[in-house]
Amino acid sequence: FRLNIEGLLVYFPTLDAKGHGVLEMPSGTGKTISLLSLIVAYHKAYPLEVTKLVYCSRTVPEIEKVVEELRKLMDYYAKQTGAKNDFLALALSSRKNLCIHPEILHANIVVYSYHYLLDPKIADLVSKELTKKSVVVFDEAHNIDNVCIDSMSVNITRRTLDRCQTNVETLQNTISRIKETDAAKLREYRRLVEGLKEANVARETDMYLSNPVLPDEILQEAVPGSIRTAEHFVGFIKHFLEYLKARLRIHHVVQESAPQFLKDIYEKVCIDRKPLRFCAERLRSLLRTLEIADIADFSAITLISHFATLVSTYSKGFTIIIEPFEDRTPTIANPVLHFSCMDPSIAIKPVFGRFQSVIITSGTLSPLDIYPRILDFRPVTTASFTMTLARTCLCPLIVGRGNDQVAMTSKFETREDFAVIRNYGNLLLEMSAIVPDGIVAFFTSYIYMENIVASWYEQGILENIQRNKLIFIETQDAAETSMALEKYQEACENGRGAILLSVARGKVSEGIDFVHHFGRAVIMFGVPYVYTQSRILKARLEYLRDQFQIRENYFLTFDAMRHVAQCVGRAIQGKTDYGLMIFADKRYARADKRGKLPRWIQEHLTDGSLNLTIDETVQLAKYFLRQMAQPFRQEDQLGLSLLTLEQLQSEDMLQKIAQIAQQA
Amino acid sequence: MDEEPERAKRWEGGYERTWEVLKEDESGSLKATVEDILFQAKRKRVFEGHGQVRLGMMRHLFVIIDSSRSMEDQDLKPNRLTSTLKLMEFFVEEYFDQNPISQIGIITTKNKRAEKLTDLAGNPKKHLAALKKVVDSTCVGEPSLYNSLNCVALPSGTEIKEILVIFSSLTTCDPANIYELIKTLNALKIRVSVIGLSAEVRVCTILTRETGGSYNVILDESHFKELLMLHVKPPPASSSSECSLIRMGFPQHVIASMSDQDAKPSFSMSHLDSTGEPGLTLGGYYCPQCRAKYTELPVECKVCGLTLVSAPHLARSFHHLFPLEAFQETPLEEYEGERFCEACQGELKDKSVFTCLACKKVFCVECDLFIHDTLHCCPGCMQTDRTS
Repeated sequence: FRLNIEGLLVYFPTLDAKGHGVLEMPSGTGKTISLLSLIVAYHKAYPLEVTKLVYCSRTVPEIEKVVEELRKLMDYYAKQTGAKNDFLALALSSRKNLCIHPEILHANIVVYSYHYLLDPKIADLVSKELTKKSVVVFDEAHNIDNVCIDSMSVNITRRTLDRCQTNVETLQNTISRIKETDAAKLREYRRLVEGLKEANVARETDMYLSNPVLPDEILQEAVPGSIRTAEHFVGFIKHFLEYLKARLRIHHVVQESAPQFLKDIYEKVCIDRKPLRFCAERLRSLLRTLEIADIADFSAITLISHFATLVSTYSKGFTIIIEPFEDRTPTIANPVLHFSCMDPSIAIKPVFGRFQSVIITSGTLSPLDIYPRILDFRPVTTASFTMTLARTCLCPLIVGRGNDQVAMTSKFETREDFAVIRNYGNLLLEMSAIVPDGIVAFFTSYIYMENIVASWYEQGILENIQRNKLIFIETQDAAETSMALEKYQEACENGRGAILLSVARGKVSEGIDFVHHFGRAVIMFGVPYVYTQSRILKARLEYLRDQFQIRENYFLTFDAMRHVAQCVGRAIQGKTDYGLMIFADKRYARADKRGKLPRWIQEHLTDGSLNLTIDETVQLAKYFLRQMAQPFRQEDQLGLSLLTLEQLQSEDMLQKIAQIAQQA
Repeated sequence: MDEEPERAKRWEGGYERTWEVLKEDESGSLKATVEDILFQAKRKRVFEGHGQVRLGMMRHLFVIIDSSRSMEDQDLKPNRLTSTLKLMEFFVEEYFDQNPISQIGIITTKNKRAEKLTDLAGNPKKHLAALKKVVDSTCVGEPSLYNSLNCVALPSGTEIKEILVIFSSLTTCDPANIYELIKTLNALKIRVSVIGLSAEVRVCTILTRETGGSYNVILDESHFKELLMLHVKPPPASSSSECSLIRMGFPQHVIASMSDQDAKPSFSMSHLDSTGEPGLTLGGYYCPQCRAKYTELPVECKVCGLTLVSAPHLARSFHHLFPLEAFQETPLEEYEGERFCEACQGELKDKSVFTCLACKKVFCVECDLFIHDTLHCCPGCMQTDRTS
């Protein structure tokens, strides 16, 4: 792949400068393999500079894909050099393969999920012993800020509290039992007085990855007297629990900051800030002392203790929202306490601080400048690559109006409009008649999808569509969805053709690829903005505005567009693949939306493909599909998007590549 | 009211294509690209299929014509069905011209069913008549790939080796798993080729790949014709297929003169099953084995099963086995010599000239194509043979 080489050239300085990088490369162009091969090569050349590669991906299948690529690379190395390679690669994928063996220390390449690095609870177990000279790669990182936020946020419902209550009781029982049998065991007092010196020493000597839950100050202090003995600590937790229960017994929404919360807790139940901060650490120590093997049972109490520590440690970047009921069901009392992180940089900060190079990469990272801003780091390189193609294998079209010239948009005011829904229906109908095999259509939300489909049914559009293709619908039920997906693929496979109706941000939109015939067209109905009335989101937007000077609208558009890019990106997986991308909303034609699409899509979005009517779309799509159906051989790509070894070594080609690399 | 701008747009759509092709190349010259494309397309056929391959001489081809709802689409003028049938007529004629001892059969599929239009037969007239009848039929429902393939594959008595599907729809309505059928076809060594009229459909890709056929999708009408013509030429026979010796009869055409008193007009055997024109004729071809009378060749004798052909037929099939070698192409600038085409005596104006490797005579593009497609022998060489 030519893209590979460009990527490598740009990427190289990142390693040299020991800095961080943000790279956008279209999917299926060998992003993974190029990163892997480069880092492995770098490691081979300078074994002292880079000792370890940590490759983080999002889901289990993706991790497996990486491992597969890695295996290929290793085979290639073995074949080329003839020597058996001394690389140890380790993949930590699902729970069933989970391994916390010290071997991780010696492995040269570690592949696992983000959470192992970002989530403080897990990171502590798995990742803290990674050396400083590691290179960390976050793949599919377009959602990394949300992952960061999720890992630092805590939601407490009444059920959590109830389970916590049981945990506390179990603890109490265990303590009293042990006290009778083996009192000496409980003498952890001394260690607590000495504080967490051990951890402190470790951090100073730079052995461990710092844990964001464990703030610097408490390392220097001793655990306060009030929670030093086991009974006292359990009592303390009980106290805290009661307070939380009281807080959940409300009838209106409360939003407050962390200091406000602390003040309130001090006034009401006299709990000080200091012991709260030690909660997480203290609990861990207690659990260790009690030799409780199955920590999973104590998830509720661990959650509460983390909450306590976080709320007392960070005064900025967090907000507490207590809602007595869900917005959709205002009659059912279901109080939730959201302790929500608004600043993704908190969770990822230790990662950036510790490792010499962190690379964030995905197929869709546009606009590139926003990621460094919200994650608060300074990248050495930021680059967006386009695909070098021997043929134009993607065809983005923006459909702005129906044949009756009525504007097509999912704007709130007009989304229930009869004409808009009918036009959406007509678009799908027309496309179903000309696109072979599979079409994936994305709606902005489940509710909107239900409304539209119901309306189509009444208008008889659904029946007409079914003459062309079968229709499958993604639901919120995972089992149902995977069933639908399976049948959808079957229908595509045996020539019947199918349409999958799904939701942006849903399960289908992320992580499930529709290669070749499984997705010959992707249709985006509307712009998938997040639900803006959510209080958590509002708080976050406010925070972004105040702290990072990012306007609400800018962020919302960015967020919507990255989901759009994800959705439409599902269809194109590599250079031999091809697919239509249809954006059915006139708002996509605006510069602020269009400009946020990845460069590799924008590049193919000509003026001629903006604000089309359905008829024009059909014409263009037909033409495109016929073009793409022409035989396409590997040799056609040679010299354009594939290079032979000779071509690679030729002088002018090298110059050309260097030029491209500079532009990027 | 809606109709008028609609048509204008369609027309525009057709026009747009030429611009699409008219892309500037790196030096900015326009005309070269267009010419190149036309040129390459013309030459492609000549170059393909040379070399030592075994060709099946007696072809048994079934053509499956999709006549489902999607055939009413007007992207081919006046609509897909009419356009297809017109081309098919041309194809049938060309097919029998190039493969005189072969047979063809036609099947249509619509409304989830398959219908055998004509059975395997070596007489173009019957097929042409059947095709003419289809024009008026309406296109309804969905096609069924399974049913129509099954229709061909089931009577395993006849040795069908090729199927050509003209597939307009994007879906197929199958009563059973088509992949099983593909396996069967593969086992029967039936080669299935597909010409798609709208877009690439997965199941066709698999079908053709598994059975060793070709899969093409048309760009426009002229491309359609070109693709169809590719199927006129016999495909290379798989090396595993056994060679069989076939008994053939070469009946002489006997013309009984009116004056001959012994001659009585008689019916031909081929009139037995055809309802129309039961004419009594005096002369005809008589099977050398059983003396059954036929008015036309080639035919399989209904009485004794002997294949009856005429010698010129066989000779015409022969050229496929020894194709004329492709001429050497040289740019006009590099060519030094008389600027006349050996064949048409016209001036050489195209950007390339073609030289026969044997006799070193030069030809223009048009003549090059004519020689390879129709004549199958080099006029230059013929002349030299004669003079020497």
